[in-house]
Formats: sequence, structure tokens, C-alpha cells
Amino acid sequence: MAKMKIKAKEKKGVVKVKAMFTSLMADKEEAEKKKIKVDYIRQIVAKINGKVVYEVTTSGFMAENPLIKFKTKGGKKGDKIEFTTTDNNGKTATSKKKIK
Amino acid sequence: MDRRKFLGVGIATFAAIVAPGTNLRAMDFRAEKPKAWEAEKSVDAIKELYGSAGLKKSNKIKLTAPKLAENGGSIPINIKSKLDLESVAIFQDANPRSLTAVFTVPEGGIIDYDFRIKMRQTALVTIVGKGRDGTLYTTGKEIDVSIGGCGG
Repeated sequence: MAKMKIKAKEKKGVVKVKAMFTSLMADKEEAEKKKIKVDYIRQIVAKINGKVVYEVTTSGFMAENPLIKFKTKGGKKGDKIEFTTTDNNGKTATSKKKIK
Repeated sequence: MDRRKFLGVGIATFAAIVAPGTNLRAMDFRAEKPKAWEAEKSVDAIKELYGSAGLKKSNKIKLTAPKLAENGGSIPINIKSKLDLESVAIFQDANPRSLTAVFTVPEGGIIDYDFRIKMRQTALVTIVGKGRDGTLYTTGKEIDVSIGGCGG
């Protein structure tokens, strides 16, 4: 459901990660107004080598198609970063990308 | 199997079982504090999430946001801090429910988060960070919104 675009780059031991997720992020009120279903990502987790490096519990008040950026020390070139999102219905989506 | 090797395997599997478990437990703030996500006012939401411990105003958490947001549907926010925090939460008074996002900071993690939020009207945005020793740090900024987001 939710598509993801991930970019991860390592420089001097710090990995800079950018990620974009497609989601309407529509909470109750907004969904009512636009006559759509309530649909938002409630959780985003990023892992490198199985270790959690980023996690956030979100609500419908994040902007549409959330774009996040963060830095972490937990990875190096060639490692894989794995994103998992959970939406309000409990559906999960996973995507992997190599760190450049 | 060698006794030494056997022990090694045992510890590895044990770690593999325990590690995701602890991660899961720390993760889902929505399941753990459902009331905080329903609160209307920042003050109430903070109380629900972190308890009624005193908040300490601090300039060690840096909140970067535009003073005037033209489009309330997408306001870029940046949180930076060098403090050793356990979790960081963002609240605002503009929307029907106050709590917007809670970050769980992994041990030794760098706190430098960029993301975007929606705001319906001009309001105060509050950041609360919980240190690993339990101290609550807070900082805030008022953001002017000319066109409301949230479908408004």
C-alpha cells in the first residue's frame, strides 16, 4: 500500500537518511470533510542490521506523504537499511535499501 | 557439538529473541498511552504521556520552524539536541488532538529529526524531551499559519 522512497548515504561514520512515504495521513476530521476513509501511518521504524536506529509513533497530523530525515551512527557503506511502516488498520509495509 | 560452541549459539539465539522483544515494547506509544493521543490540549497530553513531573525549560533542545507558515498543510520542523534523551514528543494546540508524534531515541542515537506537520491555525508548538534520568525538558515556538491545513 504505502510506497516508500529511501535514500541513505554514509559519510565519516554518520549515515544520513531521507525517506518519503506515500500516505494521505488523513485523521478523523479530515477524512470526514473529504469523504474518504481514515488513513494514516501510525508508526515508522528503521533498522540497520536488525538494530533499531529510528522509530516514531505518528498521528494524522503529520503532513501528507510524510518526508523524514535523520542521522545515525549505526551503519556503514553497503549495509542495508530496512523501513517498516504500520498504518491505522495494522497493515505493515517493508522496504529495504543499501547504504551508499 | 563443542561445548563452547554450543554456549555461543545459545547466547546468540537468546539475544535474538530478547532484542526484538525489548524494541517492540518501547515502540508503540499508541498502545501504551492511548489517552495521550485523545487529549485536546498540549498540557493534558503531556500529562498523559509523561506524568505530572515538572517540566524544565531548556535551550538545549533546538526547534527550528518557520515563524510564518504559508501552507498549514505542510510545515517543516526540525528538532536537534545534544542531550541524552530517551524520547522526544511534539505537541501543538492547533488540531483537534494535540499529540502529533513521539520519537523513541535509540541508545547513542543522534537527535536530528526533520519532518512535516499539519496545523489548522496559528498555535504554539511544544517539544518535550525525556532524558534517560527521567528529567523532562521542554521548548516551544509559536507558528503563524496563514492558510490552515487539515482540510480546513
